[in-house]
Order: sequence, then C-alpha cells, then structure tokens
Amino acid sequence: MSERYDDVYYTNRVFLDSVLPVIKPVVDGTASLQKAWEGKTGVCQISCRTDDGLDGTHFLIDDGSLTVKRGVFEGKVDVELVFKSRVHLNNFFKGKQFPFPAMKGIFGGRGMFLPFMKSLLAMGALLAAKEPPKDVNDQRLLVKCMFFLLSSGISTLNKLKHPKIHSWTSASPDRVYAWAVGDDEELSAFIRIKAGNSKASRGKYTRSMPFFTMRFDSVPSALGILLSIDDMIESTVSGKLVMEGGPEYGSQLGDHMLLIGSLIQ
Amino acid sequence: MGGLNYTMLDTAKLSTAELYGKTLTDLADDHPEIVGLTADLAKSTKIGVLGEKYPERLFNLGIAEQNLFGAAAGMALNGMVPFVSTFAVFTTMRALDQVHTDICYQNLNVKMIATHGGLSFGQAGTTHHCTEDISIMRSMANCKVIVPADGMETALAVRAAYETPGPVYIRINRGFDQKVYDSMDYGYELGKAVELHEGSDLTIIACGSAVWSAREAANVLEKVDGIHVRVLDMHTIKPLDKEAVLAAVHDTRRIITVEDHNIIGGLGSAVAEVMAESGKACAFKRLGVPDTFSIIGLHEDLMAHYRYDMNGILETARELMGADFEEDNDWDDEI
Amino acid sequence: MGLEREEYLRLDNKARELRKLIINTVVWAGSGHVGGSLSSIDILTLLYYKYMNIDVKNPEWEDRDRFILSKGHIGVGFAPVLADKGFIEKELLETYNHTGSSLGMHLDKNKVPGLDASSGSLGHGLPIALGLGLSARLKGQDFKTYCLMGDGECDEGSVWEAAMAISHYNLTSIVPIVDRNRCMIDGRTGDVMSLEPFTDKWRAFGFEVLEVDGHDLHSLSDAIETAQTAVDKPAVIIANTKKGCGVEFMSDDYRYHYASFDAEKAEFCQTEIDRYHDMRVKG
Repeated sequence: MSERYDDVYYTNRVFLDSVLPVIKPVVDGTASLQKAWEGKTGVCQISCRTDDGLDGTHFLIDDGSLTVKRGVFEGKVDVELVFKSRVHLNNFFKGKQFPFPAMKGIFGGRGMFLPFMKSLLAMGALLAAKEPPKDVNDQRLLVKCMFFLLSSGISTLNKLKHPKIHSWTSASPDRVYAWAVGDDEELSAFIRIKAGNSKASRGKYTRSMPFFTMRFDSVPSALGILLSIDDMIESTVSGKLVMEGGPEYGSQLGDHMLLIGSLIQ
Repeated sequence: MGGLNYTMLDTAKLSTAELYGKTLTDLADDHPEIVGLTADLAKSTKIGVLGEKYPERLFNLGIAEQNLFGAAAGMALNGMVPFVSTFAVFTTMRALDQVHTDICYQNLNVKMIATHGGLSFGQAGTTHHCTEDISIMRSMANCKVIVPADGMETALAVRAAYETPGPVYIRINRGFDQKVYDSMDYGYELGKAVELHEGSDLTIIACGSAVWSAREAANVLEKVDGIHVRVLDMHTIKPLDKEAVLAAVHDTRRIITVEDHNIIGGLGSAVAEVMAESGKACAFKRLGVPDTFSIIGLHEDLMAHYRYDMNGILETARELMGADFEEDNDWDDEI
Repeated sequence: MGLEREEYLRLDNKARELRKLIINTVVWAGSGHVGGSLSSIDILTLLYYKYMNIDVKNPEWEDRDRFILSKGHIGVGFAPVLADKGFIEKELLETYNHTGSSLGMHLDKNKVPGLDASSGSLGHGLPIALGLGLSARLKGQDFKTYCLMGDGECDEGSVWEAAMAISHYNLTSIVPIVDRNRCMIDGRTGDVMSLEPFTDKWRAFGFEVLEVDGHDLHSLSDAIETAQTAVDKPAVIIANTKKGCGVEFMSDDYRYHYASFDAEKAEFCQTEIDRYHDMRVKG
C-alpha cells in the first residue's frame, strides 16, 4: 500500500525529520550557543497544525544538553513555535519569514526562549548561505549539517515511499553510500539501503568498505558542490570530488541530493 | 627463465596434464637434477612425456605407491629434484605415511604432481576421485599446496615448484579444463591470489576447475543482477593469501568459496579459518562436494549435481546477497 | 675366510665398548629399545669400523657410502656409534630423550650429523635406499647403500615393493641387511606373523641370500664382502641374531624390545657384557 503524497507533504517531512534535527550539531558546534543553553532544562518544540491535529519535532533539554525527538511531545512544552499549516512551516523555513508562527514561552519558557530562537536563526542563516561562510568553523559546520540532512532527507523520502527514491532502494541489495571529506572523522555521514529499507547515520561507516563513497578533497570543494556553485562533472575531473565506486551510482546519489535540495529551497 | 612459451592455441589443445608433461620436459632440458617417477601411470599423468625425451630420467616403479614416494625421498637425499606423478587419491592416501614422514618431515625437495583431482575422473567412481587431498596436504607441515586453474597456470605452478625449495604438492585434473588465462604474463606468484573480476558486493574465492565457473558466474551476476562480484583465483592453498581474504572480508563482507573438493577441510575451511580469526562479521558459504562420496558421471555433470558449477554459484550468490548479517530491525534514522 | 686375528680383536673390542655405551645411553634416556640395539650392534660395528667409506669431517660428502637405519627405533643403539665415531659430541648422549634434545627415540636427519635419513616408521628404509641407488646410477656415482631392517619390519608390504624394484633395476649397490632376531613386540615373529620360509621369499624376489650368524664377526665380514661384489643380482644379508645379545638375562627374550634399568641393573649389564665378550674372543 503506497500512499501518494504531494510535494508539500514531502517537503514538510524533510524539514521536520531532517532539517530541524540539525539544530543540535549547530548548537554543539557553536560556543556562544552552548553558553546560551547552559544550565537550562525543559522541552522546546516546533509544530504545525495538520488535518488531523499537530505534527512536529521537539527537543528535550537536560542541563544544557539537547536531544532531538520526532513527533509531538506529550506533556507540557516550555517553548514552542506553532505554524498554521504544513505549508506555513515549509514557507518559513524556505525563507518567507512572514507571517510569523505563534510563539509560546517567551516569558514562561524557563529561560529557553532566547537560546532556542538564537539556535534556530543560526541554523537558518547557516543553511541559507549562497556562498561559503567566511569563518572556517562555520564552513565545517555547514558541510557537516548538509551531510546529515541530505542522508536523513533521502532516507525520510524513502520511508514515505517517494517514487524516485523508493524505486532506487527497493531494487538494491544491502549497500552503504557514504559522504566524506578526506579522512575527516567528523565530516562524514552515510546511508544504508536494502530492499526498500533505509537508515541514515552520522559519522563513518566502519563495519566494512561502503559500496560507494562521495569523497571531497577539502571543505571548500565540498561546499562548492553542496551550495550548487560547482558542477559535479567538473569537480570530478579536477579531483575536488572522487567517486569511490561506480560512477553511475555517484550520479544516482547526486540526483537524490538535488531532489532534497529542490524541496527545501 | 627460457623455454616456456605457450600460446592460447597450445593450451586450448592441451589438457592440464599434457601441459604439465611438456613443461617438465622443458625444465628438464636445463636442469639435469630433475627426474620423474610414476607408479604405472606414465601415460595417464602425462609424465611419460618426460620419459620420451629422457628415458633414463623417468622411473616407473610399478603399482607400488608407498615405494614410489619412499624412492623419491631417497633420490632427493642424493641431490635430485624428483617430480612424482600418480593420481591424487593414491598420493595423499595410499602413500601418505611416506609423503608425511619421508618427504615432509625431512623437508625434502620432492615435487608431488597429483593428477585426476576432485571429481575430474567422474566416470571412474569414488575409488579414483579425490575430494580429501587439499584437506590432508594442508595439514602437512613444510608442504606447499597449489591447485592451478588451467593449463597455463599449471605450467607456471610447475616452474614455481621447481624454484621453491622443499616439498610441493600440485593438484591438477585429468585434463580438458576450461581456459581461464590467455597468457603467462598475468603476474603469477606463489601464495598470491589473482583477482579476475572486480567488485565489492561479494567475493568468490575459488581454486582449480572452479575458477572458470566463478568467473563466468561473476559475469552473469554483473549483467543480469547488477551485482558486482570480486573473483579470486586462490591457486595457492598453502600458504594461503591471508591479506586477500581479509580484504574480501572487509571490502565485501560476503564470501563464497568454490572447490572441486569436499567442503570439509579444503579451500573453504582455509578461508574460514582466516575469517573467523579476523573477528569481523562476514556472510559465508562453502561450495563443493557436500561431505559425500560422489555418484558416477561426467565431471561437468557432477559439478552441476552438487551445485558448485556456474549455476550453483549464481544461486548461492543471489541467496547470500539477501542474507542478514547486520541488524535488520532498526531502520530509524539517526537524528 | 674371515678376519685376521688382530683386526677381529679390534672390532670385537669396539663392539664390547659400544654395547656398554648402549646400556649407559638407555639409562640416560630413561628407557630405550635395548633388545634390538644389542642384536644389531655387531653389524653396525663392522659397517662403521671397517667397511663403510665415510668421512667424519665431511658428513655430507656426496660420494660417501650411505646407511639407512630402517629399523629406526634403535636410535639408542645407533647414536652411540655416531658419537664414538665423532659425528656428534659424546656428551650429547647424556641428553638423550630430554626435552629439546637433538637425540630422541627415533633419530632426525635434520638434527643429527652423520645420519643419512630420518626413520622410525617401519618399512620406509628400503624404498629410500632404492631412491639412493637409482640416483647414484643416474649420476654415475658408485657408493654403496646399506639398509638395516628388522625381521618384524618385513611384514610391511613396502619392503617387498622396494625389493621387487631393486631386483627389477638390478641395483647391486644396495645391500639390505635383516636383523633376524625372531622377536617383535607382541611375541616371537613365528607366533605373531610368521615369515618363514623367509630366505626363500628373498630368493623369489630376485636376491642372492647370504644367511649368517649375526654375532660372528668372521661370517658377517664374509657376507658383507660378498654382497659388495654382487653383479648379476643384488644380495641380501639375513643375519640370525639374538635380541638383547650380550646380556644373558635379556638374550633372545622378546620382552626386552623396550626396557629401563636402574643403576644397579645397569651395572650388572656392564659386567654381563664383559663376561659375554670375554667368552666370545676366546672361542
């Protein structure tokens, strides 16, 4: 039974399942944000009204440490952004900041409103970059976030049986596709697919050699492709990008990455 | 290094055994210490070819295999390099005490070329099959064990045997093997597996007549199933190319071994030993004769019957690609 | 014909010394195949102290005569010979059977200089001798290969396979010698697995049979010389011996195939050996 969803739904799910969770690595990788969250405990949430209720992604904060959870929190939420609809949420995160979502917890949010908004805006700014950030740390952070959200986004679409992605995973034997920058331990992610199933993971796949790895020779090279500045073919020819595995698989993966990109921009 | 020029045409006409006889004779031209011994099987094992050119250097000792290998040891003790030929079943079982005690224990320079290995002498029945020899010879200390894939590789193995000091056991077929190599220049080296096909979904490690089947299976899997298979010609069973096995475990995590031999104790077991000691998870399946005495039939038909021909390999490969060895219950994305 | 008196005395004296050394070695080893060692020692004495063309300083000399101890279990009987000749240090005998020693129950060619082949599994020696003889002929060498076997050992089919081939190839350079002491582990050969008619068997296999008293140095000497000059067919020496010869209480008793002695018993053996040899040289 394959429910056919529309692009609004797909987009919304990618935001909720793959983009919002990236707030965590942004917070972990930014000193000022870490400071802002210090000592805080509670629940923050981003949600949107749907046909049959509410959908969202929430964050459990425990003494300044964030844990991302999918779905709506069953209980009292301290800070929340509530969007009128899935479309509203989509548009907001695509860059249309008006109308604002309803905001809860500005004063009673146990001091988490400010850190939450700062984190959200920081993530938004990072991901909206059209050019590589000036700061080297930010560059690394951006690459990491993109790897995470791309791998997760593809997997999300697969679970929703998006025709393009799902046909790719259904036909596949057990294979792992990875993204990497040189030998960098931190800037790596992968997705495991097998007979219609998929699982996105962060970091390096160590059990064995992945079936395919898209490996960039440096952070700038990675940003060139991820920000759609450079052309994939040219980058491959110039050695900025190395396809470890059959090139056909590389181009397939590239297509899926572009698909995610097109949905969230 | 000279004297070994064979074209594809030669090997197409010559069976593995005939090429052995010819290679040996060529080596004997340059090395007077090479002698041949057989137990009334000069014609069948083709070592008779040596005798045609050098009758005084080929010794037929009649149907007495224990004496045959004892005598070979005696000749080696006096500085000769004996090449001893009889059927694999007799070398490794009838005369095993001599092979073990006179040749391997004393670490003598005797080269044992055992013919009619596996089920290659299909119609003759179990008394002339040999599906235990790799298992037996592997456990002999000091002995090198080689199972060449085709005529070309046999010629190279015979030369390598001459150049390697100490006991060497080479197991070949009755002949008429499928051709795997087109020339001698593919970089044959004792103890180093040859990669015949690239891939990272699954590895097939094969020896002897199973190598051709493995390579054909890999071609089909590529075209039809889009499965990319690495094929290794593991011609040297001892010393085994451990690095190649470990690489296969790491890179592909699925290994199928194929041999014209019992699945107990042969190539499959040798690979399993390396795999198990590596501590890494790997899906694994041994193809070969399933611990039974074979029925009668032609070699090709028997390999099909016991499911280690090309089709059997295809079946197993497809099965293995679907097999779990990594947790398959948790498909939640990391967030 | 026999030996000149002086030479006879020299050789008999050597045999006496070696018998004593064997008893000592058995004690150092803890236990040993003493019976078969004592029955063979006279043969060994003649070969190593008169007939064999060897060079102690050059144990691997290509053209040396070869000796295959096919009855390889009498390591304690043969090692004393190698030690006395100087192939190995005499002190090494005191480490016999000790962990890590180069000397053990069955001698290892790769550990003991002067040994021409490792042995221990019965029936292996004559085929090896065959190989040596065949290669010698091919290479144009004229060394002799002596192969000492037990009579129980002749139950093994491989012995007869080799005999058949030696006759077929008329390898007169090979001299098989059978220590016919008529004893094996489980009893007398006649009771366990009878070999008779033994000499007929060898003749049937194409050998000239030289049957002698294995403790009479004169007849042994004649037999060896005859065998050395064989031309039309190879010759085999069947030496009738007594297991444990030289020590009365062991003599001709199959139970002394393998034994152990305490100091007192060992001392007694030495005196018995003296008594035996004193009697032997007189007569």
